[in-house]
Amino acid sequence: MVDLSLRGIKKRFRTVDVLHGIDLEIKDKELVVFVGPSGCGKSTLLRLVAGLDPITDGEFWMAGTKMNDVAPSRRGIAMVFQSYALYPHMDVYENMTFGARLMGLDNAEVERRIAEAARMLRLDALLKRRPKELSGGQRQRVAIGRALVRKPELLLLDEPLSNLDAALRSEVRLEIAKLHRDIGGTTIYVTHDQVEAMTLADRIVVMNQGRVEQFGSPRELYETPANTFVATFIGSPQMSLLEMERDGDRIGIAGTGSVVPGRLPAADERQVIVGVRPDAVVITPGEDGEGLSARVVYTEYLGDNAFTYVRLANGQLISVRCTPDTEFAIDAPVRVGLLPNKAHFFSSATKQRLPA
Amino acid sequence: MFTKQLTGRRLWIAALIMPPLVFVCLFIVYPIISAFAYAFFEWSGLARGDFVWFENFHKVLFVEPFASRTVNAFSHNVFVFFALMVFQNGLGFVLAYFLWRELPGFRFHRIAVFLPVVLSTIVVGFLWRLFFHPLFGPVNAGLKALGLGFLTQPWLGQDTTALWSIVFANAWHMVGFPTLVFLAGMQRIPGEVLDAVRMETQSEWVKITKIVWPLVAPSATVVFTLLFVGAFNWFELPYIMVGLEGSPHGSTDVLGLYFYRTAFGNQSGAPPDFGAGSALAVLIFLFIAIVAGTLTIRMRRREIEL
Ligand SMILES: Nc1ncnc2c1ncn2[C@@H]1O[C@H](COP(=O)(O)OP(=O)(O)OP(=O)(O)O)[C@@H](O)[C@H]1O
Ligand SMILES: [Mg+2]
Repeated sequence: MVDLSLRGIKKRFRTVDVLHGIDLEIKDKELVVFVGPSGCGKSTLLRLVAGLDPITDGEFWMAGTKMNDVAPSRRGIAMVFQSYALYPHMDVYENMTFGARLMGLDNAEVERRIAEAARMLRLDALLKRRPKELSGGQRQRVAIGRALVRKPELLLLDEPLSNLDAALRSEVRLEIAKLHRDIGGTTIYVTHDQVEAMTLADRIVVMNQGRVEQFGSPRELYETPANTFVATFIGSPQMSLLEMERDGDRIGIAGTGSVVPGRLPAADERQVIVGVRPDAVVITPGEDGEGLSARVVYTEYLGDNAFTYVRLANGQLISVRCTPDTEFAIDAPVRVGLLPNKAHFFSSATKQRLPA
Repeated sequence: MFTKQLTGRRLWIAALIMPPLVFVCLFIVYPIISAFAYAFFEWSGLARGDFVWFENFHKVLFVEPFASRTVNAFSHNVFVFFALMVFQNGLGFVLAYFLWRELPGFRFHRIAVFLPVVLSTIVVGFLWRLFFHPLFGPVNAGLKALGLGFLTQPWLGQDTTALWSIVFANAWHMVGFPTLVFLAGMQRIPGEVLDAVRMETQSEWVKITKIVWPLVAPSATVVFTLLFVGAFNWFELPYIMVGLEGSPHGSTDVLGLYFYRTAFGNQSGAPPDFGAGSALAVLIFLFIAIVAGTLTIRMRRREIEL
């Protein structure tokens, strides 16, 4: 029942500008993921939304109410912290009832909500334990449970999986996705892991150095990245960026060769940055022929897939997805070609996407 | 080979333990045992008389005028303990909270609070005796300057205010210690735990009573125990500020002063009574040891891992 509106949000710590004007419209019931490299301001933005730190400039609205000066506990927001932040002197049951009681709910209602959360998060057997007697995954579930019993209008999660091991991570990630489907409240989820972002999000906010680079669905981000930052941040292995020159329907690199990429950008800049994902490239063995000349650096064999890294004649490295049965000798000469209409084009000057 | 090594190791351990052990025996265990022994004899001056069983204990506890003096002194120790618990430890907690929250001026106060702790008790006692002087003391002068002249008192000279004044001086002197311990306890609370509370309530009272205090309480064990021991061993400050008699009219008399007068005599000519003094010392020691021991064990159990 809440939509959020962030208008020109800025944050300054003493003399350091951390957020430089964030504008976001988040819809009701949406699961939005903030993703970006370490130190880009994700946690800072989340804390501003929670009300834990004051907003330096700009406005934050929830469901049509301006929230800048509302105390954190009055915003109808619950937060799951990276370190879980459970109260060490209370058992699991007390941890979960503490906030619910403070909301003025009667006992029967509190008990009902705890029973529900305990069932949903499989906490029944743990209710009498102290946090230090729980495993990381269990603490995580308690932290989520504590947030859920308050039935918040907005749920915030700051890197909730970063203290878990890899196996547990994907398990809890599925649980969070399922919880969101079942409960369906507006949720903001912070991570620096793009796989988490892609798998969980309705929409993703890609942040970099205190700015929003792009806000869109995982598919939009992957298929039409707005700039070179988003292009290289989303997708693994990374998209390779090549400085190339346009010549008619061909693009090429001096001394390396040229290819026909299919669709070209509408703008007629000569120098462009061409972005190619590993699955947009094909390599064929041999010195001569169509395409860019390159040499094999090494092959990463992953069982169902293999990635071959090749170095172009101009020294640039690109990754290529191959079938697992292809084998290239190290240093073998190859020709690099592009699949039609798979390349992304960015302006050399602004690094922004050049639409077709 | 093996036994040889073992003996070598044992020798080392013995060699390292012996000196402190000898020291402790000579200067702590032996005097305590002697006091125990002295308490069972009759004394005239420094000459030991007959073995009298529990007569000395009986005297200080049940025979007048000794008994009522003992009770009077003990009740003052109890008062001092509770007064300091409230004013010294309570104020220490409040100060620690303000320093921890970094309220305006916290840098100055952080130092101001801890400075008196490093002064010796002798100096503090002397200082406050001057401050409380009815004619020349800054306390009364200050009250007058503030237009509160009607509040001026002979602070140390009347039985309604004397003990309070010494307690005040003690709190002023030592408040930095509980402050330091509480502050350390507060600084150990993880920031995200405090953020988590802020998400659930904006009441400072709930935050302090339900989160901060329970998490700091375990580190208060040592503060409480030391205060207890200090309050029942109280001697230097009253001795310097009001003298050996607990004047005026015994209103500041405490066990420490009373023991000293009994065992070693006083200026007004009462003869030293080593037996009764030792009996008092033994009783004080047992009382402190038993209560402080129980207190420590009980409170240790509540300790919480963060
Ligand atoms: N209290 C503070 N005082 C000064 N600078 C701060 C403060 N908090 C954060 N910063 C700075 O703001 C920037 C953004 O920090 P933030 O914690 O939001 O990053 P993040 O995106 O959450 O990174 P991570 O993925 O590592 O958690 C960092 O450069 C950090 O140094
Ligand atoms: Mg962070």
